Amino acid sequence: MTSETGFDPALYDRFPTQQERPPEELEELKRIWCAPKGWRLLTAVNNNYVGFFYVATAFLFFLLAGILALVMRVQLSLPLQGILPQETYNQFFTMHGTVMMFLFAVPMVEAIGVLLLPQMLAARDLPFPRLSAYAFWAYFVGGLCFFASIFVGLAPDGGWFMYPPYTSTAYSPGINADFWLLGIGFIEISAIAGAIEIIVGVLRTRAPGMTLDKMPIYAWAMLVFGVMIIVGFPSVILGTLLLELERAFNWPFFDPTRGGDALLWQHLFWFFGHPEVYIIFLPASGLVSMMVASLARTPLVGHSLIVLAFLATGFISFGVWSHHMFTTGMPNLSVGFFSAASMAVSVPAGIQVFSWIATLAAGKLRFNAPTLFVLGGLITFVIGGLTGVMVAMVPFDWQVHDSYFIVAHLHYVLIGGMVFPVFAAFYYWTPMTSSRPLSERLGKWAFWLMFMGMQVTFWPMHIAGFMGMPRRVYTYLPGRDWEIVNLISTFGAFLLAAGVLVFLVDLARNFRFTTDNDAGNVYGGGSLEWLPTGLYSTRSIPVVKSREPLWNDPQLAEDVEEGRYFLPGSATGLRETIITSPIRAEPQYLQIMPGPSVWPFLGAVFTAGFFLLLTVQAYFVSFASAVLAVACILRWLWDTDRPVHDETVDVGAGIHLPTYVAGPRSHGWWAMIILLVVVGMMFIMALFSFLYLYGVQPRFWAAPAGLADLVAILPAYGLAAGLAWLSRFMLAREKTERWTPGVLYLCAAAALAAGTGIDLWSWHASGLRPDASGQGATVYALLSLGAVLAGIALLMAVYLAARNSRGMIVRPRNNSLDLCVLWLVYAAGQGAITALVTRLVGAI
Amino acid sequence: MRGWSFLLGGLIVWAVHFFALYAIGSIFLTTPIARGLTLVATIVCLGWGAWLLRRAWRAARLTPLDEWMRTVALCGLGIAGVAIVWQALPALLA
Repeated sequence: MTSETGFDPALYDRFPTQQERPPEELEELKRIWCAPKGWRLLTAVNNNYVGFFYVATAFLFFLLAGILALVMRVQLSLPLQGILPQETYNQFFTMHGTVMMFLFAVPMVEAIGVLLLPQMLAARDLPFPRLSAYAFWAYFVGGLCFFASIFVGLAPDGGWFMYPPYTSTAYSPGINADFWLLGIGFIEISAIAGAIEIIVGVLRTRAPGMTLDKMPIYAWAMLVFGVMIIVGFPSVILGTLLLELERAFNWPFFDPTRGGDALLWQHLFWFFGHPEVYIIFLPASGLVSMMVASLARTPLVGHSLIVLAFLATGFISFGVWSHHMFTTGMPNLSVGFFSAASMAVSVPAGIQVFSWIATLAAGKLRFNAPTLFVLGGLITFVIGGLTGVMVAMVPFDWQVHDSYFIVAHLHYVLIGGMVFPVFAAFYYWTPMTSSRPLSERLGKWAFWLMFMGMQVTFWPMHIAGFMGMPRRVYTYLPGRDWEIVNLISTFGAFLLAAGVLVFLVDLARNFRFTTDNDAGNVYGGGSLEWLPTGLYSTRSIPVVKSREPLWNDPQLAEDVEEGRYFLPGSATGLRETIITSPIRAEPQYLQIMPGPSVWPFLGAVFTAGFFLLLTVQAYFVSFASAVLAVACILRWLWDTDRPVHDETVDVGAGIHLPTYVAGPRSHGWWAMIILLVVVGMMFIMALFSFLYLYGVQPRFWAAPAGLADLVAILPAYGLAAGLAWLSRFMLAREKTERWTPGVLYLCAAAALAAGTGIDLWSWHASGLRPDASGQGATVYALLSLGAVLAGIALLMAVYLAARNSRGMIVRPRNNSLDLCVLWLVYAAGQGAITALVTRLVGAI
Repeated sequence: MRGWSFLLGGLIVWAVHFFALYAIGSIFLTTPIARGLTLVATIVCLGWGAWLLRRAWRAARLTPLDEWMRTVALCGLGIAGVAIVWQALPALLA
C-alpha cells in the first residue's frame, strides 16, 4: 500500500467499530451544531441553512429576471408596440441578462454546491462556514439593491457585456453604468469567496478513503468550477475597475484617441465571459451525471472520461474567448486559431452527452419528473451545442453576429445546459432538505409546459435571426415578416412561465424545509448525501470504499448512524471536521470550526454598503461603510486560529489526529494560496492590458521612469520578502525578545510600502500622469494594485501585533502569521515585476 | 503537486500550445514567420506530450487510484495530441 501522508490505510480496517457508543454523545453533537433561533438565524453558518438561503435567493432572481423577459416579449410580440419606451427596454434587457448570469446562474450552482457538498463528502461542514455566510449575505444585500435600481430608472442599460465606448462617460453619462460596474464587481468577489470555500472543501474535507477515483462526479465538477472562477473572474473584476477608473478619473484605458483601446475591454470581458458559460454548465453537468446514474439505477458509464471532459473543458474554455470578437478585425491567423479551438470544445461536451445517453440506455429508466427534466435538458443542450459549432465557423458567424440567431443559441445552451438540469436537481434533491418530496404529477406538468415553452420561444428566434432581426431592438417596423415569429416566441415565453408557475405551486404545496426530518432517498441514490443527517451532517464520518457506497454496502447507513465510523461525537467539545489529504483523502488533522457569528453578516452588509454608496457618489458614508466592513471582518477573524488544549485527540477506533496544524498541510494555507492565485490573475490581466496597449498604440508611449530607481525599489521589495520570511523562522525561537515576529513583520510591511511608494514617486517624477495616455493609465493601475496589497499588508501587521499582545501567536508555528507572510512575499514579488516590466517595455 | 501535474500533463501541454499560438498570431499576424513558428511550437509541444506519454505509460500501478490516474493521464495526453495538431491546422494548411 502507498500513502500520501504516512497514514497507514490498514487502520481503515478498524471500522465499523463494534462497541456501543455512549448515549449522551449524540445529544452533545446536536447541542454543538444547533442553529440559532428567531432573528439570530441571520447569524447561522451551517451549510444547510446558508445553502438553502442561497438557493432560495438565486431562484428569486431567476423569477425576477424571468418577469423582465416576459415584459420584453410582450413589447416585441407585435411591431411598434408601446409598452416599454426605448430607454426602459434597454434597461430591461441589460438587467435580464445581467441578473440571469450574475445573480441567478453562478450563485445558483454555487448555492447548490454549498448545500450538497458537505453531505456528499460526509464532512461536518465546508471548511470556512463563516466565509460561506459572508458570501451569501454580500450577494443577497448587494443583489437586491442592484436589482432595485430598475425601479428608479437607474438600472444599467449598456447590455450585459457593457462594451465601451458606449458605456464610457461620453455616451453613458448617468450612474446607470456605475451600478453595473461596481455592483457586478462586488458580486463577483462574493462568487470568488464561495469558490475558495468549494475548492478547499472538495480537496481537503472528503471522507477518509474517498480517493480521487472514488470522488463523486459532482465534486469533480465543482472542483473544476471553483478553479475556473478563480482564474476567470479576476479578469472581469479588473475590467470593471478599469472602466470605472476611466469613468470616474478620466484614465483612458479604452479611449483610442489617447492611447487606449475599446477592444481591450472585450478581451478582458470575454476572457471571463466565455468560461462563464462553462462555469454555469459544468456544475449542472455534474448534477446530471449524478442523477442519470440513480435514475437509470446503474453506475455512470465512462466516469473517468467525464472527469477528463470536465478537466479538458476547464482548460479549453480559457482558449476560446475571442470567438465573441470574430467581427472586430483580428488577424486572420488568430481568427483561424480561435475558430479551431471553439470547435474543439464540443469534444468534451460530446463525451458527457454520450456518456449520459449510454448510462440511460444501460440502465432501467424511470420516466419521473427529474428524468424528464434531464432528458429535456439533454435535447435542448445538444441543439444549442450544434448551433454553437455553427457560429464557431467564422463566415457563418459574420452573417448571424448580433442577430436573434445568437439569442436563440445562447438560450438553448444555457437553458438546456443549466436551467433544466437545475430543475431536475430540485426534484431529485428536495427530499434531502424537505420533509415531503415534490409532486411527481405537478413536476411532469411543469416539465412539459417548460419544455414546450422553451422550444416555442427560442426555436423561432433562429429564423428571426436568419431573417436579419438584430438583437436588442426595442421594436421593429411592420412588413419585414418578423411579426409571426415574434408572436410565436411571445406565446412560448408565457408557456414557459406557466411551467415555472406550476413549479411554484408545487413548492408551496409540498416543500417543507427541514434539517433532520427529511423525506429520504426517494430516487435511490448511491452517494453519501443520502445517509441520515442532522445539522452536524452525518453522525459519524464513514470510510469510503467505492463511488456508490450506499449501493455497495447496504449496512453503511446504519453503521454511520450508530457512530461506528470516524468522529462519532465531538472530540473537543467544539465544532470540528476531519481534514484529509487532497489525493488519497487520508486523515491529517482535526479542524476546529467556527460557530454562528453576527460578524460575517455585518461585514457583508457594510461591504455591500461601501460599493452601493460609492455608486450613488455618497463618498463619505461609503468609506465609513468600508471601514466598518474591515472592522467586522477582523473581528470575525479574531475568533479563529485558536489552538485547543488537547494537541491530539481520538477520532474513533483509537486513531489519534492533531488538533492544530500549520504550514502547507493546513487548510488555511491552501485558501491563501488560492486567494493569491486570484490576486495574481488580476495582476496578470493588468500586465496583459499594459502590453496590449503597447502593442496596438505604440505611438502614445512615452519614455518610462528611470531604470536607476530600480536600485532603491528592488532592494526594498527584497528586504520586505526577506524580513517576512525571517519572521516565520524567528517564531520558533523561544529566546527572541527584540526581533519578534511581530516587529519583523511590521518592518517587512513598511519596506513593502516603501518600495511601492518609491516606484510611484519615480513615475510621478518622470512626468507621466494617469490621465495622459493608455500607458499612464495602465502603469498607475498596476501601481495602485501594488499599493492596495501594501495597505493590506500594513493592516495585517497591526492585526498580528494585536494578536501577539494577547498571546495568540503561538509557537513554534502559527497559521495567522504564516498566511500574512505568504501575502507579503507575494506582494513583494508582484511589486518587483511591476517595477521591472513597466520600465523595460518601451525602454529597449 | 506531482500527482496533479501527472494527471493534468496532457491538458497543460495543450493549454501551453494554444496560448503560444495566440501569441504568435497576435505578434507576427498572418505571415510566413507566424506559420513557421506555429510549426515549431507544434512540434515542441507534441514532443513534450510524447515524453509525458512515455512516463505515464511506465508509471507504477500499486493501487486502484494509481491505475485510475494513469488512465486519465493517458487519455488526456491522447486528447492533447489530437487537439494540438487540430489547433495548428489553420496555420499549416492555409
